[in-house]
Amino acid sequence: MTAKITRRQLAGLAAGTVVTGGLIPARAADTTTLVSGFQLPQNLDPHQVYDVPMQAMMLNTYDNLYRYQNDPPEIVAWLAESHTVSDDGLTWEFKLRPGIKFHDGSEMTAEDVVYSFRRVLALALGPAGAFLKILKPENVTAPDKLTVRFKLETSYAPFFAAIPSVCIVNPRVVKAHEKDGDWGKAYVASNDAGSGPYKIVSEGYRPLEYLDMEIFDDHFLGWKHNPKPVRKIAGRPTKETSTRILSLINGTIDWTDGNLPADQVDQINASKLAFVQKDVVMKTFVIRMNNAKPPFDNINARKAFAHAFNYDGFIKEILAGYATRDPYPQPETLWGIPKDAKGYDYDLAKAKEYVAKAVAEGAPMKRPLEIHVQSENEQSVQGAQLFQSDLAQIGLNVKVVGDIWSNLTNAAAKPETTPDMWVHWVSTYFVDPENWVGQMYDSQFHGTWKASSYYKNAEVDTLLRKARALVKQEEREPLYEAAIRQIMADCPDIWIYNSMQLQGINKRVKGRRFCTVGQGAEVRWVTLES
Amino acid sequence: MARFVLRRCVLVLPSLLGLLVVTFLLIHAGSADPAAALAGDAATPEQIARLRLQYGFDRPLWEQFVLYLNKVSQLDFGESAFSHRPVAHDILQRLPATLELTFAALVLSIGLGVPLGVAAAVKHNSWPDYLLRLLSVMGIAVAAFWFAIMLQLFFAMNLAWLPLRGDLASTMVRPPVVTGFMLLDALIAGRWDVFFDHLRHLVLPAVTLGLGGLATIVRFTRAGVLDTLQQDFVFYERAMGYRWPRLIWIFVLRNSLTATVTQIGLLFGGLIAGGVVVESIFDWPGIGSYTVQAILTGDRQVMLAVTLLVGTVYAAVNILVDVVHGLLDPRLMERA
Repeated sequence: MTAKITRRQLAGLAAGTVVTGGLIPARAADTTTLVSGFQLPQNLDPHQVYDVPMQAMMLNTYDNLYRYQNDPPEIVAWLAESHTVSDDGLTWEFKLRPGIKFHDGSEMTAEDVVYSFRRVLALALGPAGAFLKILKPENVTAPDKLTVRFKLETSYAPFFAAIPSVCIVNPRVVKAHEKDGDWGKAYVASNDAGSGPYKIVSEGYRPLEYLDMEIFDDHFLGWKHNPKPVRKIAGRPTKETSTRILSLINGTIDWTDGNLPADQVDQINASKLAFVQKDVVMKTFVIRMNNAKPPFDNINARKAFAHAFNYDGFIKEILAGYATRDPYPQPETLWGIPKDAKGYDYDLAKAKEYVAKAVAEGAPMKRPLEIHVQSENEQSVQGAQLFQSDLAQIGLNVKVVGDIWSNLTNAAAKPETTPDMWVHWVSTYFVDPENWVGQMYDSQFHGTWKASSYYKNAEVDTLLRKARALVKQEEREPLYEAAIRQIMADCPDIWIYNSMQLQGINKRVKGRRFCTVGQGAEVRWVTLES
Repeated sequence: MARFVLRRCVLVLPSLLGLLVVTFLLIHAGSADPAAALAGDAATPEQIARLRLQYGFDRPLWEQFVLYLNKVSQLDFGESAFSHRPVAHDILQRLPATLELTFAALVLSIGLGVPLGVAAAVKHNSWPDYLLRLLSVMGIAVAAFWFAIMLQLFFAMNLAWLPLRGDLASTMVRPPVVTGFMLLDALIAGRWDVFFDHLRHLVLPAVTLGLGGLATIVRFTRAGVLDTLQQDFVFYERAMGYRWPRLIWIFVLRNSLTATVTQIGLLFGGLIAGGVVVESIFDWPGIGSYTVQAILTGDRQVMLAVTLLVGTVYAAVNILVDVVHGLLDPRLMERA
């Protein structure tokens, strides 16, 4: 008998090897690569995009003067060593640490910080919203190599809270790729221009699909605090929930983002490789009411709706308890909430009473109403359906309308096009009451999605504007408390809960640090165990 | 032949223009303000107004369409509101992955569908025929997303034979992009590890995508072969002593394939469009997931460009099908 292998046998062997993965190294043994399932931002330029996925990316690739760390979040000096502010709150000076290097090896100076802020203002996208009205490009200057000075147009306390939203880019890299005065927009959208602990691998990026990063050994903080850091981050976002869960359970990805559905927690916790980490985040869930449209221009009508939502039922039954009831217009863990504030409870009898009062005042309570939801988000649909069934019990007719985020934010630009009601979350863009009550209930923000209830109260406007112009928290706090007390009495919206982030994590991931800004995606603290 | 192809190409242009007009109108009627989409979540009304002016979204619809048409004629499809990158660039980067998946699904559908269809016809009204008919009906009826999850559960989770998602193991370094087709680029770079790993990642999405086409081809081939088998020339050739395999594969099949070829043409366009779901489930980095994102974010430029692309592919494949028909039956070409 000869040992001759026929062509057919050879083909079969090759196919078998391919199918059984004989040529593929086992990923589980690799303790240097973390596979992250976080959603990728729209593009990689932190000056064009500023949202939750961007926060998760930029914390690893870029640095900022100050940064939010820990839980509850604290703003800590990062690229800056310290800062000072003038008594009038108009002049802010930041002192940079010496010897900070960008990924190309060049040294960071105050001029680079000036360039970064001017770029933010010129592009007028992403994080620019917090600065456009109070900062002119020529008023960001560098008196010396390590000092950056900001001269504001008006005193604006949330300026400091918004500082972590601006990443410092490398002007030498950006300018080299500028086209037609675009501030290197096209280039930075797909490439690295940062100084952060990880740098983007060339050709390792495709929007929405994958992003590969590798460690930057010369990062200014060094790596002494983590002797066995992750060397490579493979960003592999999963689009479908089922694929996300399966990928986590079989070890294809090391962690998901913080948006796992509550009904998947038990399944993941029962798996061998992964568990679900629960963290309270500052992300509120709200049903907006269009105060400019009847019947919501009537306070009794609004209160009727606020008493008709089954808060506990929604949180306990639909969210399986993975949220905390938050009856305030901002996260309950944030300063500025008056101690005597009391929210609206689920009480259909009270709701009926308010309906009767509203009807007596001429409010068209029988008008068919619409509540718009984000169709792709199951939770917003379930919340609206629960609300719809309770409202039906008190004789109110509400139709649930499926919609998408971009349509909703677009419609919210005018009171006439804003839906009667719509459901959304408000995430942490910066940790300050300005991020919630300031931008949601000051009437100067009408036209933005955050202020889409079109609530207007001159007293509240005055309080919020005054609070915004002061620098010291102890002076601002009573003003916010007074404003929130009034807002809650006026009941412009239905405030439901503050979120609990559910993140699936592989058990080999150790050392993760959580902060509500960035959802704990900062990899520099993490180690992978074999 | 050249004149035939040229004539077909010219006739396609008005269809594409019509497609563009309808899509443009539908998207403008139903989707979000493109300036708001470009400006992003944290934008102020002033930022949105500035972009509206900058991109000409404030102009009358017909003017916007003419401007768009002018740009498209220069292969400029505008900027994606989502990625803020040129749409043409994004599509070119992703198209090879979609074509790779589509071709793999098509090869699977044809490679299995034609022999199985022939087998069903030859074994007409026997148990293999019944079984294949049943399976082909199921293949057409089954929902792609359900079938995909079943494949994931069985082959990736239970047996751990094949990867669950993506196009390459996360530990692997991608070969330099030359053609954009990962299999070709891996071969060019001599990266056999990448070649085989990519091939493994291709199996489940290709099977999911190819299932419907496979079932269709089985049915049409079966019907065509059955019909041909009733022809006099088959009786004659059998009487002449031709053996079954030769008779079937050389004479019968050629005369039976007209309807199958038409179906293959339709399938190709359908596979590109159907890839939207499959690519999303398997995180395949093609135009499918890009399109889903565009629809969810109201990214008009991407929606328009992808519609035009799918329309063009349909048209091109139809021309190709006409040519193949002509080659199979030269009388058709002469008549045209």
